[in-house]
Amino acid sequence: MSYVKQLVGMFFLVIAVCGGPFMLYTVKEEIVFAPEEVVVRTVYLIQQIATGSLGTYYLGDNERSIAEDILPFAFSTFELLLSSVCIAVVASLIFGLFLQRFGMVRQLQKLLNLISTIPDFILIFLSILAAVSFYKLTNIRIITLSPTSDSANNWFPITLLSIGPTIFLMKVVSLKYVQIGGEDYIKTALAKGMGIWHVLVHHVYKNIKPFLLADLKKTIAITVANLFIVEYLLNVVGLTRFIFSKNAPYQFNSAVMGLLGIILLSILVYFLIRLVLYLFERAVVYK
Amino acid sequence: MQKRFNWSLWTGSILVLLLLVIGLIGPYMAPYPLDHQEKTRNEVVNGKTVIISPPLPPSSDHLFGTDKWGYDLLTLLLHGAPYTLFVTLAIAAGRVVLGSVIGLYIGIQDKPQRWWLAIENAWGYMPIFIPVFFLLKGVSINPLMPTSTLVMLFIGIVAILGAPSVASSIRQKTEQIKDTQYVLAATSLGAGREQIIFRHILPHLKEQLIIILVTEMVAIMTLMGLLGMFDLFVGGTKMTTDPVIYHSITHEWAGLLGSYRGFVYSNFTWIFLTPLLAFIVAVGSFTLLAKGLREKFEQTYHRTPFI
Repeated sequence: MSYVKQLVGMFFLVIAVCGGPFMLYTVKEEIVFAPEEVVVRTVYLIQQIATGSLGTYYLGDNERSIAEDILPFAFSTFELLLSSVCIAVVASLIFGLFLQRFGMVRQLQKLLNLISTIPDFILIFLSILAAVSFYKLTNIRIITLSPTSDSANNWFPITLLSIGPTIFLMKVVSLKYVQIGGEDYIKTALAKGMGIWHVLVHHVYKNIKPFLLADLKKTIAITVANLFIVEYLLNVVGLTRFIFSKNAPYQFNSAVMGLLGIILLSILVYFLIRLVLYLFERAVVYK
Repeated sequence: MQKRFNWSLWTGSILVLLLLVIGLIGPYMAPYPLDHQEKTRNEVVNGKTVIISPPLPPSSDHLFGTDKWGYDLLTLLLHGAPYTLFVTLAIAAGRVVLGSVIGLYIGIQDKPQRWWLAIENAWGYMPIFIPVFFLLKGVSINPLMPTSTLVMLFIGIVAILGAPSVASSIRQKTEQIKDTQYVLAATSLGAGREQIIFRHILPHLKEQLIIILVTEMVAIMTLMGLLGMFDLFVGGTKMTTDPVIYHSITHEWAGLLGSYRGFVYSNFTWIFLTPLLAFIVAVGSFTLLAKGLREKFEQTYHRTPFI
């Protein structure tokens, strides 16, 4: 029951956020705050859903049906989200936990810390600049910005999207590693002569896991925030097209659908990552 | 134990001070007036007549070059600096004040306030630029109201929407301190709620508050940059319709970055790189300051791992 309540609450939060442009506008130098307009729009939206259609939206000058486009758009967004979060989790476990004791890995982390002083969206810009100048130098094409080209270049947006969450999650994991590494039970285990790998898997990993799971949600939130930028700047056709349509006026219906879709996808990604972690534990920790 | 020299703290504070000075006197130091525009002209170079047309690359006349319409980039940056810095500072201060009032009063309650926890939880996962974007979109593009009102509105909205995350960390800390022995002693001696907050909890939060203020400034600058990517600039966006071009009215740095972002694909990359450099320096110095402060306060609790 509480899940249903949360879903309904989420729906209204999305409505409230998407209704922003109708709530606050100006008429002759005066700010008008009119939340009642959102109610009218919402009733219209629910009526449309009740008749079995999701409505239409404008992509440029063309009117298109939302129901027709939402699945392929959602699929490409899902691919981006899942692979980036996967990269973040795997990289932070490998470099933040299992290889942390090597000096070289710690240098790598210092480098990442240095990079993380620059906001993620600027990193994305810098990588575009780097890719363009790389192309000019070597004639090897890394990125293609046209969405109609063959999708062999999917890895570039995925890599860019994974920068932000990887930096965040690796910081969390390696911070906890340093804290847990100083505990007495680690000292005891080492004094008993247990192998490093055994200590890492059975003492450190098990104690880091709750923090990893707690921050997984935040990681996904960071990925979603960056998703908007990556899809917008790299011309990836995904769910954010419904929300920020270039060259078209703001559309309430499609914005609600896009935002709801992204939230549902991130919940799905969360559970899939939990599943992957569970499988990892079954295979490595409790074999 | 010998103390390590705190590089981040020192470089960070010097850079931030420098930025604040630029923010205060920048507009008066600008080499050209704000509306000075380089026009297309003929010039004789080595006996040949050449057409000189903007954008002009960086030279001794224009230290950072001009943009496509002939405006001097350094002048624009210097005029935008006060907006970038003081809007950020105002929002951060607003968030910290609002957040600590909410956090302190919620944290001191005997029972956990579940309605507030629900808000905190839901809001924590919402990328803040989305609600800000939607709220300001109807007001900010070709604005009908004066720039100052729009800036105040921006400050208010971003401060209020960002307050829950600050309140959350203040609340957690307050709950920790509330359970200590000396608070219990003060309560049994008859101290009231205000007495406990001002005499016992706030003094402990001082360091935390400074760190939060600086980290929030970084977050706010990033937020302004993100909004700039979607053509929503602090103090209003001027939109021309033929062709569709978005200009920042206040020339604030994140806005310049957003409105020149198209030049990343052109041959005139300096138009994009100049505001980018300014923005990175600004964000970087606040990040350094935050890192330095954190290191300074955390030195006491450092432990070395056994493995």
